[in-house]
Amino acid sequence: MQNLDRSVIRTDLLKILDELRDDWEFSGEVTEESGLFTQLEFESIDAVALGSALEDHYNQSLPFAEFLTKAAERKAADIKVGELVDFLTSHLRNGEGERA
Amino acid sequence: MSTKVVLFGLDGATYTVLDDLVRRGVMPYLGSFMERGVRASLMSTIPHLTPPAWTTLVTGRSPGVHGVTNFLQYQSPDSPYVRVISSREICCETIWSMVGRSGGRAGSLNFIAHAPAQKVNGYTLPGWVPWRWVKKHSYPADLVSRLQTDLTGFDLKELAMDFSEEEKAIAGATHEDYTPWIDLHIRRELQWFNVLKHQMVNDPCALTGVVFDGVDKLQHLLWQYLDPSCEPKHPSEEFLRTREHCWDYFRQLDGFLKEIVELAGPQACVVIVSDHGFTGTEEILYINTWLEQEGFLTWAPDAEVAPADSQELGDGKPIHLTSFDTTKTKAFASSASSNGIHIPVAGVRGDAGIAPNEYESFREELIHALLTRCVDPQTGEPIITNVWKREEIFAGPRMNLAPDLTVGLRDSGFFSVFRGDTVLKRRPVVMGCHHPEGVFLATGRGVRQGVRLAPLHLLDIAPTLLYAMGLAVPKDLEGAACVEAWVDEHVEAHPVTFNGSTIIPPHVETAATEDAPYDEEGDAQVMMRLRALGYIE
Repeated sequence: MQNLDRSVIRTDLLKILDELRDDWEFSGEVTEESGLFTQLEFESIDAVALGSALEDHYNQSLPFAEFLTKAAERKAADIKVGELVDFLTSHLRNGEGERA
Repeated sequence: MSTKVVLFGLDGATYTVLDDLVRRGVMPYLGSFMERGVRASLMSTIPHLTPPAWTTLVTGRSPGVHGVTNFLQYQSPDSPYVRVISSREICCETIWSMVGRSGGRAGSLNFIAHAPAQKVNGYTLPGWVPWRWVKKHSYPADLVSRLQTDLTGFDLKELAMDFSEEEKAIAGATHEDYTPWIDLHIRRELQWFNVLKHQMVNDPCALTGVVFDGVDKLQHLLWQYLDPSCEPKHPSEEFLRTREHCWDYFRQLDGFLKEIVELAGPQACVVIVSDHGFTGTEEILYINTWLEQEGFLTWAPDAEVAPADSQELGDGKPIHLTSFDTTKTKAFASSASSNGIHIPVAGVRGDAGIAPNEYESFREELIHALLTRCVDPQTGEPIITNVWKREEIFAGPRMNLAPDLTVGLRDSGFFSVFRGDTVLKRRPVVMGCHHPEGVFLATGRGVRQGVRLAPLHLLDIAPTLLYAMGLAVPKDLEGAACVEAWVDEHVEAHPVTFNGSTIIPPHVETAATEDAPYDEEGDAQVMMRLRALGYIE
């Protein structure tokens, strides 16, 4: 099955993160280089909520915990937005009921 | 007949506490509510745990059917991958949707497993969501923005479950922590109440449901101050002060109830429910340590022993499969909240485990051992009073997501999954733990007055709410409308009607099954947060 285009996913993800900023008191620009935990000040439960938001947006289940696992295994200090875009690009299946 | 219904949810409420608070005059309005209506015990799911219990209540279906068995559960029957539950785990139609399909509006506030909110004819402000995500996970999309604009004092941070604050309060569990813990929940409940009131005025619905979860939180930590049987003969000033502060929380709740009943009006039906009851626990069973002693489990060499002063239901680090030597482990428990024991079978969720053809005989051997050899070393009394096979309590298409066995303890509590230095330990102070018997109270037009009913089950609540609204009950709901709550004339004039079946939520048909292997470290940080809530170890 064909995967969704990376640029589309990137736009979707940045839009979701951007929607949070009003209440998040984060004034900086969110880019692919932004770190979820160090710059966007995510807590772990926020990462779970992000995973749920992405599943809801694309109407697909995603192996999000595996993604977090691999980050932990390589002792990553943070997860950059771009890494998440790559993860989504490799797992999202096209045409499975993306929500408006 | 068309009657507005308000579902007033009190997470973990028990008559043990509520009756005492009525008797002492702390909750006078609840007392009058009881006199004007019906009351019954409300039996919970097995296990009596928040996610499966509330989901059973709002779907009218049992956990093996609706698919929510715990806070964290296997993603699919053949996957070792474990995920935190979300609204995607609910595989049955909710009552909010049923009401919507009948043409009515339904609003829900602070229900678990409702995030991300699904589209409904009404609104959903879900519970158990970190504050940053409440707006994104609510429905309609502008709900929170409107509240921020229109509702004076609305504060997302106070409204939402702040996992960091919950963790601080629980982890401490000293007298110094009690006051901020109670205050936290007084403030949070006030936020939910203000939203409830605002929505009832500005977006009235046929069914409005809310959950006040501070009842559960206070009772976990402060049971000794709330259970009248724990009251010392000569209470200290500290005891009286702390209890008074606990009562402040319940006084506020009593005021909420009064305002909501008055706002709903004399024609409305108001139903008070809890997802489970509460009781006290004075001991900790280290189930994995017992499994180790019996030769069913082998710890990994670096598995840590629980702190000697560990006493909280959720104290300490989360347990992972990496804590066990999976090549030698035949049974293990990974989550305290479910009281579930897993039996790894080779080829199902990985290569490790017992041979498939040994499963039945091993399971019988383990059940026998749990019931006969897991005993109090002081008295010889069995600590485990029940062991349920998966198919006995999770029957349905989602059964294989649940643990192989679920145990019931003599104190109704949850076991610990830590590596203990002993199998059974006394707690320094009594803690609150869940009990299967919750509460059901109702008043409204045609509802009997001052009547005690036979015990109900959570499965009965959805059909009862639909009946109260004058709506037909889908035939595939598993419980029955409690018509005994209404006077005969009312029931004769308004018999229960049935039509059609529930619908499958849109996300279920396309939900994908992940084949990716699960490495237990992945959810570690998540579980560290969830443990603050008293369920996850």
